[in-house]
Amino acid sequence: MADTKTSEAAPKKGKWTRRAFIGAGVVAGGALVVGVAVRPGNPIDRLSPMLAKGKGEQLINAWVKIDADNIVTAIIPHVEMGQGIFTSLAQMLADELDADWSKVKILEAPADAKYVSHDIGREFLAPSLEVPAILEPTVGGTFLQLATAMNLQITGGSFSIRGTGQRAMRVAGAAAKEMLIAAAAEDWKVPAGELRAENSMIIHDKSSKSAPFADFAAAAAEQGLPNKPKLKSPKDYKLMGKTIARTDIPEKSNGAAIFGIDADLPGMKYAAVKAAPVVGATVESINADTAKTMPGVLQILNMGDFIAVVADGYWQAEQALGTIEAKYSKTEGDALDQDALFARYATMLDEAGDKDGDVETEEGDVGEAFASAATKVEAEYKVPFLAHATMEPMNCTAWVRDGKCDVWSGHQAPLMARKAAADTLGIDMDDVTYHNAYLGGGFGRRSETDVIIMATRIAKAAKYPVKMIWSREEDTMQDHYRPSATSRFQGGLDKDGKAVSWSNIHTHLFDPQEAPTVPYYNIANHKIRKIDVPTHLRFGPWRSVDHSQHGYFIESFVDEMAHAAGKDGYAFRRELLAGSARHLKVLDKAAEMAGWDKPLPEGHGRGIAFVPSFGTIVAEVAEVDMTGKKPKVKKIYVAADPGFAVNPDGFAAQMESSIAYGLTATLYGEISVKDGAVQQSNFHDYPILRINEMPEVEVEIINGDHKRLGGAGEPGLPPLAPAVTNAIFAATGNRVRELPLSKVNFA
Amino acid sequence: MKAVFRASAPVLVIALGACGSDPAPEPTEQIVVREPGQDGSDAAAAAPAEEATDSLVAAGKAAFNTCVACHVVDDSGINRIGPNLYGVIGRAAGSVDGFKYSDAMTSSGITWTKEELDNYLANPAAKVPGTTMMAGAISDAGRREAIIAYIEDASAN
Repeated sequence: MADTKTSEAAPKKGKWTRRAFIGAGVVAGGALVVGVAVRPGNPIDRLSPMLAKGKGEQLINAWVKIDADNIVTAIIPHVEMGQGIFTSLAQMLADELDADWSKVKILEAPADAKYVSHDIGREFLAPSLEVPAILEPTVGGTFLQLATAMNLQITGGSFSIRGTGQRAMRVAGAAAKEMLIAAAAEDWKVPAGELRAENSMIIHDKSSKSAPFADFAAAAAEQGLPNKPKLKSPKDYKLMGKTIARTDIPEKSNGAAIFGIDADLPGMKYAAVKAAPVVGATVESINADTAKTMPGVLQILNMGDFIAVVADGYWQAEQALGTIEAKYSKTEGDALDQDALFARYATMLDEAGDKDGDVETEEGDVGEAFASAATKVEAEYKVPFLAHATMEPMNCTAWVRDGKCDVWSGHQAPLMARKAAADTLGIDMDDVTYHNAYLGGGFGRRSETDVIIMATRIAKAAKYPVKMIWSREEDTMQDHYRPSATSRFQGGLDKDGKAVSWSNIHTHLFDPQEAPTVPYYNIANHKIRKIDVPTHLRFGPWRSVDHSQHGYFIESFVDEMAHAAGKDGYAFRRELLAGSARHLKVLDKAAEMAGWDKPLPEGHGRGIAFVPSFGTIVAEVAEVDMTGKKPKVKKIYVAADPGFAVNPDGFAAQMESSIAYGLTATLYGEISVKDGAVQQSNFHDYPILRINEMPEVEVEIINGDHKRLGGAGEPGLPPLAPAVTNAIFAATGNRVRELPLSKVNFA
Repeated sequence: MKAVFRASAPVLVIALGACGSDPAPEPTEQIVVREPGQDGSDAAAAAPAEEATDSLVAAGKAAFNTCVACHVVDDSGINRIGPNLYGVIGRAAGSVDGFKYSDAMTSSGITWTKEELDNYLANPAAKVPGTTMMAGAISDAGRREAIIAYIEDASAN
């Protein structure tokens, strides 16, 4: 037991130690948050001894730190999962601060309640409030309390730039600059109005005096916090809007980057796990006779809902686990097959008929408009469950001792992870230290706390540090899936082929609420309903969440209506978007990029789709070659308006990766259920897009409204599937109403 | 009509998941085979070696774990990503049948003595510029010695 006597929790690797430094300091007492950070009278002095520990370091506020060497550290309250957010958020802060980019460092904020994503709750609860209102104390305080209660320190919903970036990082940068200038004005006895900041220097042009930020850092902290720091207008941006190389790329290229799975502790052992194949079943008994005799095995655990083997090495644990025979309890889910599930959807949709179900939006009289329509169009679409298949396997390392717990992982919501560990052990959150690392892919999967809870339970039983790693099989079979869904449409066209009614009923599973709605399309009568269909599988957010289904459903049906109206898909959408110049511009740009009217070779087709989501408007045109046995997606043109792209190359990269992820799902993605259990288990039956299948992608960004930014991580995905299937229709006349395409025989 | 953007993706899940909960259940069955440090592999690793060479070979076998993704040392004649290393000591570089070497390796003119191997393993790309052995540089001289001892021992079996 020599290993576990070590009381020092800090693991070996450098990055963890750095995190431990800030984590340990802040976790002990608390820190500032967005919104409060720039309010008058906030207790900044309470914070500085906790965050600014280095010699000569002085805390400016919770999001920025300036040291004696004039290094500006941006403290980022979001996690890096390949989306480049560390760089973009630091860009926003550094630009408002007029910092020298070559002297900007980035630090991930600790998992602490004072770093909650305050704005995400605010956006959710009162979306109409405009940006400056965040500085209003009462509103800010109210939402802070709500957000704190909900543990919303989260990275998701394509929210970081448009929420935290706009409302926290920029404001914090601007506030820090005003405080530095105020301190310099006092020191130099000149009016603050005569001073400016540039490249991490305060400059007085009249006297040609200049000095680094660091000289005033201590005095700046004594200044009152500005109530409404002045933000730059786009013409003054120096870093925002520029392509700046991501700071995490070098270490990810040379292998130095530390991910959750790299956690390494003295005396650490490894756990392999297997849950009951049917979700909801329990492990009634296990036969571990062989496993007990296998090399390296330390413990075999029946945790009730899963089996764990702890061993000296992961491979030993995994091998021993494979020999264990288990009996599982019977559940209602045992009988369920995929066909039966879709049949259940169909029955419930039939029962809902024309009237039942929850109405999501309604305008005009759909019944009347459809009844009197000159042309009626009806269609039903289906999509399957999807797994996330993150590149880094699911993992979590935990060490439970002396009534306290340390947890290491890469999680999209570090504070939720911390709370999950605390709840699992029945201890106070203050007794849990959560250490976050890079995420090797998140896509929503790493916003669930199941792995955190499992690892904590194993570590509690083992009493020494344990790293739990899920096999790829476990990841594929025990995911929180993108829901499968069925959606039915009725559309009416008048005698001129104009859309007059839009009616939709779909199986409902998730979020965001606007996903099934089409407010940007001008259709006088529309009604959208949902019905809830229970299943035993667990659902979770999957890149673009419900937009991933509804983007495909809606844009397929718009195309079918266009065809019924005898119109071109692009022209038909132009009519529907006629009242909205910003939307129209995006659609037109995509068509222009693709050369919409230019003929394609025989057997090739072009399809268009348009989906605004997460605040960003995206149109995509796909070119598909149907001359072979299966579709070959040749090219995707993307026109996107995120309001303002903070890092254009980063934004374009998110569009490209959305296409890779979305095309994987469109071509192959299918999780199906047989006898209640998921049938797929690894990449041989849940394939990922190969490099030779990746289409060429061209991205054009339109900066349509610098005051209201949209997201980047998700909005590129929803238009992809329908652009591809609409292109297949254009080439072959074959309308694809069920994904994935691998199920369709095109021969 | 203006689009209304509301909840961000995972908010609802969190709202539901935010309720407090009782501590998670204990294991229904816990079989402790041994505690860390007792018996098993830890003990085996710590067992005194019969003689110095054996312990060097044993250390080399462990260190060879760095190499096993690409190399085997047996008389099966099977090559993996890298050539079979059975009998490599004393052999001319680039001479295993059926393995596609880089031109650099084939034309290196090296005969693999222990010294040459040691040299090569310290920095493959410097010793044979153009080699396709991308991984495997071993900076620790002791580990190189052990690996070479293991290869020699395995080739004698």
